Amino acid sequence: MTSVLRRNVAILQVLVGVVLVLTSPTATLMAQMLSPTHLEVVALRQPVIVKLFGASAGSLDSYGTGILVSKEGHVLTVWNHLVSTGFLTAVTADGKRFPVDTIGTSAEHDAALLKLKTEPGETFPFVDLAQATDPEVGASVYAFSNMFRVAAGNEPVSVVHGVIAARVPLEATQGRWKFPVKSPIWLIDAITNNSGAAGGLLTDAAGMPVGLIGREIRHASSRTWVNYAVPLTMLKPVVDAIMAGKKVDQKPKDATADVAMISDKDLTSKYGLTMVPNVVERTPAFVDDVAKDSLSEKSGLQRGDLIVLVEDAVITSITDFQQQLANFRTGQRLSLTINRDEELKTVELRVP
Amino acid sequence: MTRLSQLSSLLLFLSFWFTAASDVHSQQTLVQRESARVETIGRISPSVVCVMAPNGEGGGSGVLISADGFAISNFHVTSGSGSFMKCGLDNSKLYDAVIVGIDPTGDVALIQLQGRTDFVAAQRGDSDQVRVGDEVMALGNPFLLASDFTPTVTYGIVSGVRRYQYPANTFLEYTDCIQIDASINPGNSGGPLFDIQGRWIGINGRASFEKRGRVNSGAAYAISVNQVQLFIEHLKCGLIVDHGVPEFTVETVEGEVVVSQVSELSEAWRRGLRARAQIVSFAGRLVSSANDFQNVLGIYPEGTRLPLTWRDKEGVHSATIRLRPLHDFQKAPELPEERKPKDEKHPETPDDQKQKFEAPEELPKELNRLFVERDGFCNYHFNEVQQSKLLDPMRARIGTKGDPKNVWQISLASSGSETKEAKTPPISLTGELTIGPTAAGLKLDGVPYLQNAENPVAAEEPAQLPGLLTAVLQLRKLLSGEKAAFNEQLAMGQTLHLPLQKSVHILVTREGARTSRWYFTSESPFPVGVDVEYGQGIDEARLVFENWQESENAVFPGRIGIVAGVQEQLTWLTMGEVKVKQ
Repeated sequence: MTSVLRRNVAILQVLVGVVLVLTSPTATLMAQMLSPTHLEVVALRQPVIVKLFGASAGSLDSYGTGILVSKEGHVLTVWNHLVSTGFLTAVTADGKRFPVDTIGTSAEHDAALLKLKTEPGETFPFVDLAQATDPEVGASVYAFSNMFRVAAGNEPVSVVHGVIAARVPLEATQGRWKFPVKSPIWLIDAITNNSGAAGGLLTDAAGMPVGLIGREIRHASSRTWVNYAVPLTMLKPVVDAIMAGKKVDQKPKDATADVAMISDKDLTSKYGLTMVPNVVERTPAFVDDVAKDSLSEKSGLQRGDLIVLVEDAVITSITDFQQQLANFRTGQRLSLTINRDEELKTVELRVP
Repeated sequence: MTRLSQLSSLLLFLSFWFTAASDVHSQQTLVQRESARVETIGRISPSVVCVMAPNGEGGGSGVLISADGFAISNFHVTSGSGSFMKCGLDNSKLYDAVIVGIDPTGDVALIQLQGRTDFVAAQRGDSDQVRVGDEVMALGNPFLLASDFTPTVTYGIVSGVRRYQYPANTFLEYTDCIQIDASINPGNSGGPLFDIQGRWIGINGRASFEKRGRVNSGAAYAISVNQVQLFIEHLKCGLIVDHGVPEFTVETVEGEVVVSQVSELSEAWRRGLRARAQIVSFAGRLVSSANDFQNVLGIYPEGTRLPLTWRDKEGVHSATIRLRPLHDFQKAPELPEERKPKDEKHPETPDDQKQKFEAPEELPKELNRLFVERDGFCNYHFNEVQQSKLLDPMRARIGTKGDPKNVWQISLASSGSETKEAKTPPISLTGELTIGPTAAGLKLDGVPYLQNAENPVAAEEPAQLPGLLTAVLQLRKLLSGEKAAFNEQLAMGQTLHLPLQKSVHILVTREGARTSRWYFTSESPFPVGVDVEYGQGIDEARLVFENWQESENAVFPGRIGIVAGVQEQLTWLTMGEVKVKQ
């Protein structure tokens, strides 16, 4: 070996050595940076959760959770009764209260996008959904939510830990309501199926966003309470579309074809109830007219009422209302929750 | 050249060493963490107690806090088992235990296991340092699963700190508690929560039970060990320990704690607190909501004196106030129906596997003497024990020197004032103090004062030395050494004496409308201070004692400090020798 060659080899060795010396500790450091402690994840994610307070309806709670997904104060949550009944207030991590607008919903994804009514220029810490990740089954996760309304005001929300148990399609129900998401969701071994937890954030061990914590529902066949979250990778395009002003809330046309429903005619002749013209895909269930001396008039319904609940089932449209009514037999008593002049009222009627 | 290649090999070696080391490191962490956890559980398990009624039914958990068998549990666990219970430890042995003290408001109970002097106590941590995300372990006996009393271990993280959980009726209130996601089920109640190093940080006592029935829901609450610690010495006195109220109410207004009402008879009122003032801090903690305030208030026993800082139009003020009793229990309260322990056995456990014990035999005599029933107490026996500890050494030193019929004459001279911030030179005061069986007199710079022993009034106290005469009349009674000097006396636990900044044991004496709190330390058989309440709406007479002198016919402090004013200024008096007139 010539001395030149030896020198070159030596230099190469030095270079390789330097690179290795630099890379291995750097890699370790990076690994440490990528796998933060429980405490760091908590500090990172607690501030992006909002506590939602609204109207209680039947056995359903008056509180829930949401995730800030934009600097301007967009909040992602589950499209449950809290959103449908309106009157929502959001409390951010610093204890500030904000009225809330519903920007858009997607029944298919069981998600709703809200917007805090803020002062111009006000900004918030938020989760960047572009960072949403799909972890391996078995990965450690954290679930942040305002379960049981343990936290109030500026108190930080609760965090529980667990692992991803499975990624499977979910068949589940809440009363007569069926879980609509068809593609696989995350099953978690932490208990997230709790009052007020719906709309909370599931992250991986590094705090990366993973899922939107789901509702209090039972598995359709086992009847056990299911702890699940809808993948944020699936919800990101939905949120993007709503933010871009696109209409996302569309059900496939044939989805409702074989579902029983009370016809417009029966609604008018038997109930004495006429709804506003059902002209768009999801026309809100506004009452257009109540026939004199009819069942509906006796129950106290009035023109202009918005029907938000039939018993515990959230009513999202006129079609939905007509389908829900079909679930009751003649003679059964049912309660309707209505929104009249920004106030919730309950009326009772007997099915004709 | 050679050097260069040597250097390069060294660098290469280092680089591999780094790579190897980091790999080994990450592999070892998991294994090491697990073995550390296993080691920790082995170390802490002997301190975990399975608490059962004498016939072995029902029950919950507890944790040993000292080698002589004192153990903490929940009030709602012990309330069903009567005065005595059976306790199982992880060595599979059963021990008899007696109820010592209870705190129904805070859901805490103290029991004492019998039969050993070398019980393994848990090592206490600092629950104020617990953070959300910390790993924790709950040990106890959920569903009474372990027939050999080996504790069940559940693991989780801290989900929230400084949580507030509303009381059931007016007690079982969880303030400043730790929320965890470790599984907590019926039977875990009263058991310890440990941090991952095995330090005891809380008592698991409550969970958000809801639609699933009484099983884990992922949200459970532990009473913080720092709160328990503030009550332990009170509980050791056999008391039904009460929590306190500040005699004013607060509400949250735009992120501030604002006073809504103040009782005009309260100490806070006399210090200048009025409605609409903003509470800045309480007991040294900044508060920003009414919940915060309740969280601070809830961790202290009744009678505790706490610093309060508030802001009003005139500026920022500070003072100390004493918490008044919340309930004044004469008997332990009945648990609300929904909190009564049900049959906690696992629903899937066949009945024939139920733990059985022989029928409770007649209690042995040595156990029986450990329980004395008395109104206002949980177990008066333990109060007598504590009273003896406080009073016997003092009585031994007094001997026959305290004859209450004697009149004592003592000269006094002021020797300066001090507050925490500053000392001022003595104001020149000289006087002659006379203490008799029915009255105390003082001639101060030629001006006479006379205070009646039976019915003292604030107006008769010298303005420069407020409360001195009332307090020395009480002191004269204590120093008589007679057992029945007061109508009533009881040991009351431990507190931080604010002017002295010392932890002190409390002896309370009552006589007529006068309630005196005497403060003792382990350093001296004589008290270091006394606070005497002698009427509603007037300030307590508060003295501190130093430099005790024993002469032929009397024992008396050589220096007396009078605590008074918003700044708790101490005016020191140098006392001359006691002249005894028989």
